[in-house]
Amino acid sequence: MSFRHLWAVTRKEIQHILRDRATLILVLLTPTAMLLIFAYSLTVELQHIPIAVLDYDRGATSRDFVQQITAGDDLDLYAQVASEDEIEDLLMRGEIKAALIIHPDFSRDLLALRGMPLQIIIDGTEPESGGFAVDHISWRAEKFINTALSDQLQTMGLALDTLQPLDLRVRTWFNPSLKPRNDVIPGMISIMLGFPALSVALTLAHEREHGTMEQLMATPITRTELLLGKMLPYIFVGLVNVVLIPLFAIAWFHISFNGSFLLFFALSAVFLFSILGVGIVIGVFIRTQAAALALSFLVIFFPGFFMTGIFFPISSMPELVRMESLFLPGTHYAIITRGVFLPGVGLDILWPYTVMMFGLGVVFVGIAALFFRKKLG
Amino acid sequence: MTSPIILTQALSRDFKETRAVDALDLSIQPGELFGLVGPDGAGKTTTLRILAGLLDITEGSGSVAGHDLSEQPEAVKPKIGYMAQRFSMYGELSVHENLLFFADLFDVPRAEMAERTSRLLAFAGLTAFTGRRADHLSGGMQKKLALACTLIHQPEILLLDEPTTGVDPVSRREFWHILSELHAGGTTILVSTPYMDEADRCSMVGLMYAGRLIECAPPARIRAKIEGEMIEILPHDWQAAQDLLRTLPGVFEVQTYGESLHVLVDKAKKRLPKIKKAFRKNKLTYNGLRPAPLRMEEAFISLIRDLEE
Ligand SMILES: Nc1ncnc2c1ncn2[C@@H]1O[C@H](COP(=O)(O)OP(=O)(O)O)[C@@H](O)[C@H]1O
Ligand SMILES: [Mg+2]
Repeated sequence: MSFRHLWAVTRKEIQHILRDRATLILVLLTPTAMLLIFAYSLTVELQHIPIAVLDYDRGATSRDFVQQITAGDDLDLYAQVASEDEIEDLLMRGEIKAALIIHPDFSRDLLALRGMPLQIIIDGTEPESGGFAVDHISWRAEKFINTALSDQLQTMGLALDTLQPLDLRVRTWFNPSLKPRNDVIPGMISIMLGFPALSVALTLAHEREHGTMEQLMATPITRTELLLGKMLPYIFVGLVNVVLIPLFAIAWFHISFNGSFLLFFALSAVFLFSILGVGIVIGVFIRTQAAALALSFLVIFFPGFFMTGIFFPISSMPELVRMESLFLPGTHYAIITRGVFLPGVGLDILWPYTVMMFGLGVVFVGIAALFFRKKLG
Repeated sequence: MTSPIILTQALSRDFKETRAVDALDLSIQPGELFGLVGPDGAGKTTTLRILAGLLDITEGSGSVAGHDLSEQPEAVKPKIGYMAQRFSMYGELSVHENLLFFADLFDVPRAEMAERTSRLLAFAGLTAFTGRRADHLSGGMQKKLALACTLIHQPEILLLDEPTTGVDPVSRREFWHILSELHAGGTTILVSTPYMDEADRCSMVGLMYAGRLIECAPPARIRAKIEGEMIEILPHDWQAAQDLLRTLPGVFEVQTYGESLHVLVDKAKKRLPKIKKAFRKNKLTYNGLRPAPLRMEEAFISLIRDLEE
């Protein structure tokens, strides 16, 4: 492999990206813009969900708790009620989507670190808003516990990280299958990084359509030099997105980023390599930009949405689809991004997914190099 | 006689049902300026692409610079400069960047890059446009840029596919001037063209028609075989004009060409006034009547008729 050839192709491609406004927008701005659009279309409707609260505890802690839960834009306190009959009535009339019942020993159990005796009733006819109510309550409950109990823990001489098991225990109290947007956005990064992959597929088709591929094939460049040289600039561009998207997610959506950014960056580079591998395979087999676009949606974006477990849990998929999703780089990357963003998981846990992504990338690029022929027609 | 630098034996190439190149035997000596002349669809592009290693051979064999095209297509590539019929430089890159790109891919020694690029830019008359984006060049300049890029690694063989089609007459003349210089410098050139007049500038001409090489000889001998000149008429009564023309002396053939009639005559200058007179006498009117360059289509049809007779 000649680095001079490789760099010639890479440099040319960068010049193309920088000078062709359509490509520049596609690779640099579209991912962030799409993130914004998707995130909003998923959350906008689910704000200000009316809920009722039935507080049997009636202590200062439970009042605080209710206040905190309804403090944001997510949930609105529609009514404080006195009986479960009232809840049923309000639910039936559709005036509330969910109700929160605080048990009499709420404060006692909480301060004794025995858990958080809560009950949530949701409107089964509207599982979405009900589910999101559950998620928001659980999310705010976690925060509440963390602040309410930190003094308590300190006086008991316990380290702060003993909170973790408590967090998990609280979660199991609630419906764990629906995820709040906190969880969706990190998962969606994998879809957004499909755009550089799409660009790679398009750029090969573009060269065929414009006849430059013919000229390129008449030079002594090797297949690997050509394909890698085409991929490299889009890995760079993808990495710019890897920096932009989390910054945006943190600044705009106030998503917490608990892990190491360097790790996230490195693993994202591996993901880019493998998803660009998919793009390059498409580019090798498909001759026109229109067809490459259609196939990219089918192979990169559609499975990214529906098969990587971002919106629909993989565990609920048929066996065949589950197997198939293992061969999608996005499945592994969704786990990685969620792990790095939310609990701040490290490489000790994420390495198998990283290895899988890298392996898939090697396979894809291998297939592309094998089937790419320096021939026309 | 030395051994040929380009050689094909019973070379054929099919596209589904179409046989684009049909049992082609081509033998080109080093240093030749070989013109491959033929109408659209004759198989010129397909032939050049095969010789550049860009298309698989269906039947037969071919070799370029001593390398078999089926066995070692990659070994051929550093030796040739191939210029596609379509403009195939990078439009967003400047003239200079395009040159550097191909210099890198052909491993032009770095020490020689600056000297070679400036010499080629001057040679192609592009020095003033070094920094201009390739897609902002005129058609003629784009062709010259493409030629400069194919020359950057000083190939022994040039394969040029219709380099002067769609180019203004001045650029066309300049282009052929450049080719003559390269020819004088010893480069083997295979150039395809649909224009018969360009064949005169070649040292050897191959006439291609329907995938076959129907004639291969020095230009003077080819021209001697194609007699006649062309007159183009746009008559109002198309059928009557055709019938009348067929009866006139000195008219070899009348072919319809879109709305107009193409009349193949022995001498255009001599026949033009006679045709005008005959039209007037028969009260036939027309929009235009003028001598036209003999297009390869017509020349071929007449040649093939001769061959068939
Ligand atoms: N890629 C292709 N696919 C199908 N048919 C082709 C292809 N390339 C050329 N042909 C056909 O082969 C014949 C010769 O074409 P070509 O070599 O382009 O001729 P020329 O360059 O002399 O105009 C034509 O009938 C053309 O339609
Ligand atoms: Mg052609």
